[in-house]
Amino acid sequence: MNPMPASEAMVFSPAVPEIFLACAAMALLMIGVFRRSDESRTLSTLSVATLAIAFVLVVIFGREPARAFEGLFIVDQFAVFMKALVLIGSASAIVLAVRFNANEGLDRFEYPVIVVLATLGMMMMISANDFIALYLGLELQSLSLYVLAAFRRDSVRSTEAGLKYFVLGALSSGLLLYGASLIYGFAGSTGFDALARVLAAGAPESTWIGVVFGLVFVSAGLAFKVSAVPFHMWTPDVYEGAPTPVTAFFAVAPKVAAVALFLRVLTGPFGPLVADWQQVIVVISVGSMLIGAFAAIVQTNIKRLMAYSSIGHVGYAFVGLAAGTEAGVRGVLIYMAIYLFMNLGTFACILCMRQNGRMVEDIEDLAGLSKTHPMVAAAMGTFMFSMAGIPPLAGFFGKVYVFLPAIEAGLVTLAVIGVLTSVVSCFYYLRIVKIMYFDEVVEPFDRPIGREVGAILWATGLVILLFIVYPAPILAPATTAAASLFGG
Amino acid sequence: MIIHSLTFYMFAAVAVASGVMVISARNPVHSVLFLILAFFNSAALFVLMGAEFLAMVLVVVYVGAVAVLFLFVVMMLDINFREMRHGALQYLPIGGLVGIVLLAELVLVFGSWAVAPEAADVATIPTPDPTVVTNTHALGSVLYTRFVYLFQAAGMILLVAMVGAIVLTLRQRDGLRRQSIAEQNARRKSDTIEVVKVPSRGGV
Amino acid sequence: MYAAAVFLPLLAATIAGLFGRQIGDRGAQLVTCSAICVSALLSVIIFVEVALGGEARQIELFEWIRSGTFEASWALRFDTLSAVMLIVVTFVSAAVHIYSIGYMHHDPHVPRFMAYLSLFTFSMLMLVTADNLLQLFFGWEGVGLCSYLLIGFWFDRPSANAAAIKAFIVNRVGDFGFALGILSVYFIFDSIVFDTIFAAAPQHAGTVMSFLDLDLPALEIACFLLFIGAMGKSAQLGLHTWLPDAMEGPTPVSALIHAATMVTAGVFMVARLSPLFEYAPGTLGFVAFIGATTAFFAATVGLVQNDIKRVIAYSTCSQLGYMFFAAGVSAYPAAIFHLMTHAFFKALLFLGAGSVIHAMSDEQDMQKMGGIWRMIPVTYVLMWIGSLALAGIPIFAGYYSKDMILESAWGAHTGIGDYAFWMGIAAAVMTAFYSWRLIFMTFHGQPRASEIVMAHVHESPPVMIGPLVFLAIGAVFAGLVGYEAFVGDGMHRFWGDSILILPEHRAMEAAHHAPAWVKLLPLVMGVTGIALAWLFYMAAPGLPGRLAGSLKPLYLFLLNKWYFDELYDRIFVRPAFALGRGLWKGGDGAIIDGLGPDGLAATTRRIAVQTSRLQSGYVYHYAFAMLIGVVMLISWYLYRQGM
Repeated sequence: MNPMPASEAMVFSPAVPEIFLACAAMALLMIGVFRRSDESRTLSTLSVATLAIAFVLVVIFGREPARAFEGLFIVDQFAVFMKALVLIGSASAIVLAVRFNANEGLDRFEYPVIVVLATLGMMMMISANDFIALYLGLELQSLSLYVLAAFRRDSVRSTEAGLKYFVLGALSSGLLLYGASLIYGFAGSTGFDALARVLAAGAPESTWIGVVFGLVFVSAGLAFKVSAVPFHMWTPDVYEGAPTPVTAFFAVAPKVAAVALFLRVLTGPFGPLVADWQQVIVVISVGSMLIGAFAAIVQTNIKRLMAYSSIGHVGYAFVGLAAGTEAGVRGVLIYMAIYLFMNLGTFACILCMRQNGRMVEDIEDLAGLSKTHPMVAAAMGTFMFSMAGIPPLAGFFGKVYVFLPAIEAGLVTLAVIGVLTSVVSCFYYLRIVKIMYFDEVVEPFDRPIGREVGAILWATGLVILLFIVYPAPILAPATTAAASLFGG
Repeated sequence: MIIHSLTFYMFAAVAVASGVMVISARNPVHSVLFLILAFFNSAALFVLMGAEFLAMVLVVVYVGAVAVLFLFVVMMLDINFREMRHGALQYLPIGGLVGIVLLAELVLVFGSWAVAPEAADVATIPTPDPTVVTNTHALGSVLYTRFVYLFQAAGMILLVAMVGAIVLTLRQRDGLRRQSIAEQNARRKSDTIEVVKVPSRGGV
Repeated sequence: MYAAAVFLPLLAATIAGLFGRQIGDRGAQLVTCSAICVSALLSVIIFVEVALGGEARQIELFEWIRSGTFEASWALRFDTLSAVMLIVVTFVSAAVHIYSIGYMHHDPHVPRFMAYLSLFTFSMLMLVTADNLLQLFFGWEGVGLCSYLLIGFWFDRPSANAAAIKAFIVNRVGDFGFALGILSVYFIFDSIVFDTIFAAAPQHAGTVMSFLDLDLPALEIACFLLFIGAMGKSAQLGLHTWLPDAMEGPTPVSALIHAATMVTAGVFMVARLSPLFEYAPGTLGFVAFIGATTAFFAATVGLVQNDIKRVIAYSTCSQLGYMFFAAGVSAYPAAIFHLMTHAFFKALLFLGAGSVIHAMSDEQDMQKMGGIWRMIPVTYVLMWIGSLALAGIPIFAGYYSKDMILESAWGAHTGIGDYAFWMGIAAAVMTAFYSWRLIFMTFHGQPRASEIVMAHVHESPPVMIGPLVFLAIGAVFAGLVGYEAFVGDGMHRFWGDSILILPEHRAMEAAHHAPAWVKLLPLVMGVTGIALAWLFYMAAPGLPGRLAGSLKPLYLFLLNKWYFDELYDRIFVRPAFALGRGLWKGGDGAIIDGLGPDGLAATTRRIAVQTSRLQSGYVYHYAFAMLIGVVMLISWYLYRQGM
């Protein structure tokens, strides 16, 4: 009955990092429960160590492209690159949260454990080679994120954020499943390899449209996860309501994972349909760039602002995806890597916004930061300039690497819109710099900012500053990763 | 075959109708009951397709557990559903319009639908003949072997759901009296009973 | 040694400017004064070797710009002309530096002042030793900058700032011409190195350049443009308005920059470029005309001014006119000779005036002076010496140089030469008159100052008197000593190749053979002027008032400096303001900003408010938006498919 040899069914070595992470998560849970202490520092340290080990495992077991679990699971250079980003983002989110949670009365061991579980979900998403695997990974991630959003359960805003995210997330999952079932109905499989074969064989026009319909629904479900327009509405509310380290986590890791899904699904099984999905991606990209640029201008809360900023950044990343070429995908990968570091750094700065032991989130509270915390202000300024895409900072190159392939692919209008919206977005990024450097101090932030936050600030700041000098650590793996998606 | 089709359309029509009733019924208890009806009809559709295991699972899990839970929640919570619906119904025109557009488009596509010719070849596992292999056996033979990955993943999701539910709801309240069996067992007479000699007319 | 003479002041300026706070007032004065004194000594050696020994030389420091055929190096050119200028600049500068120690000792910004002075000296030395036009321009702009900084030295006075800006802007007009001149020289000769262009000048005498379909004599145009620059720097008629206002600066600055050195840069430049100007006879005529007119004009204005420094400033303007018309009739040696003698006696007058002002507690108005000659006898005597030299009384320096200029003008035997001669004679009368008017009003008569001021009148300290005495010696003997070499029979040997006079331009030779009346007339006029001044201000003090009353229009005309400032205000300043305001408010503000940045920004803001209004916070709105999004995406896809 089983057409495949049993030996292949038992192949699971490519999934060792995920298996390790799953076991470690459960072990951490046990440790947490039996320690009978809410103090989470130890668990956080252990979780970071777990993620670090997973990182090593990912690199070790990802040398050769391989499939596991009968083709449900795939490992290639692309997966390695994306998983590395996700792991960095998750570990940073845990590190950033240690002090915050302790100060805010959120010191619970479940936080790092749930982050680890979410990370597991993201890694499963990245390695998914089948719609069902994709969906399960996505749900594992999403469910963890819903919980994290509502983590500050005594705050109305936090629980509201969690609930909104949950309800809308369920809707988006519904869309995704509907799309997946349409595709299954028309193409006869949920496996990406099989789909690729069917679509490459050249199906009749009527099938084609049905599959693309399904693909649009799938894209809608995925677009929700990357908070692309018009599925972005949850983002500002959730970013604002969730505890700040959670927002930082939301802004980086799940986004990277969901973008990875987009890339894998669209360029893999649906690669032959590039002309069809390109139009959809262009619309999503333009919408995201416009909303991200314009709606952020009037924001007064820095976390809301970062929400719109992240919407805009997804739009820019999708410019590269819309090109549909290997260079475009490479651009997206570079963009996401740089985006990850910029955002981590910015949120580290936001975590410094504490007056008299109380977190503040208004942009105006940053006034005169350059006088009270010159280093933090300098770092924040660097990140803002980088996000605005001003050379020689990394953000500029990120944009270059996505805009150029788009232009080469003939999407000149899209690139022009991208450039124009970056100009608009400069307004709010530079406004922050202006407030930090030219406005009068109202009330200084507390000191010290904490070792963990300081370390993240330094690390991310250096990455952003030194990219122009030594870009190879990001460029080279991104190139091979993009090549691996295109069968290189 | 005609009977087969007729039953299909009957169950399908009832399922759709109850779906409509779920959102349009004035009484929320009625809504939940219509939901249960929809579940039953879906289960019947599964049976028609020879998937009796799924039909049973649907009834047991959704009707037996989920819907009943819903019913309890709806009855216990004092929510003015009428007011909520009043807000929602004002979007009916534009919502209906969007729905109609979507429907039209779907019809347009499905009007000329065709499954890809290669579709049958790529199906990972051919459906076994229900007369030879029972549903349960067929599912079981792949669920724990070929799809162990998905099975385990689903397990992880449930774990997260459980942890999440505990994190968000479990509270350590002060002033609660809890039974501690170990403490009870460890108690000795000398800990609790003190013999006091009371002098007469002296009081305790 | 040669380079050291030029660069020592720069070194001193750097030290005093950057480390003024560390080394203090005394240190800054010591550094700058010793640097400039060493520089002055080196200049003497250079003068002996180069001018007297006849060893002209060029020192190339390093290459500056090389672009295509364009080459410019930092190079120092030492020939007789630059050696003479070196002497003048370093000696007057040294005197002024030392004088400043006393004059500025109350000022809180001594190091800055000394640094500026030294920087100015350096720029001036770069200017006079330039080996190409670009380096000349560097020095030219350098002195302009220092002049600006020093006029506005007392930056807390609005009038000083206004004067500094005025000087800078008026000079900009000249510099624009100068820059264009350099460009046209490059256009004609394909080089800006002096040796190259001087050698090629004869071949290009007839070259024409096309501009707006007009064929213009190229050399004339180039020289004319260069002369515009000279007019600006040397305050010639038309671009002279900044010089009187520049008196807002400290008096030593006026002496150094606005009498002895910077303002003579124009004359120096014309002399330096004599090999070009000689082939541009039209421009030479223009030079003579402007010079003669300025000499006359400035003298008339000087007659009625009451500010002691302004009188001397107009006198400077007038004397520069003399130099230019000398150059205009090809009597460059006479021009440079007068430049040198003038540097001494005019610096003497300015510093003397500074001494008076110092004594009178910073009072500059001559109407509030008088009767102080007994109290400051040394200054009084020195002012007499300066005035005698200025008026051209024999044995004093001015006599030799000024007479030589007037004789050359007469000797040119051209229409323009005669014009210059008679203008010069008229100016000579007035020069003598206003000089003695100054002396009589300042030192004689009844004291018109307040009791308190009079009680404070005192002789200046030796550190101020010393330089004055030194300059006085120069004012007395410079003419006598220099006459033979500069303009006498030793002229050709002395100047060597540094100045070119074409054989057909014989004004200098003719000057030596001028009739006796020509030689005597200036002296007679000078004495007449002195006598008139005595009559007006000593013998019959009521006369000036009556005369002013009866000739009121003329008096006002002169008092208001021929209404030049008012005229410029009407013609240039106000229209420029109006145009600027129009472009600013209407063009930039309303049109460009309104449609561009501001309009865009406002639109952006409106859009932003609209977009954020979509964010209602209701979860069913969001869900609905998602569904609409899906439908829209599908519709969009179908629409594109249909196409």
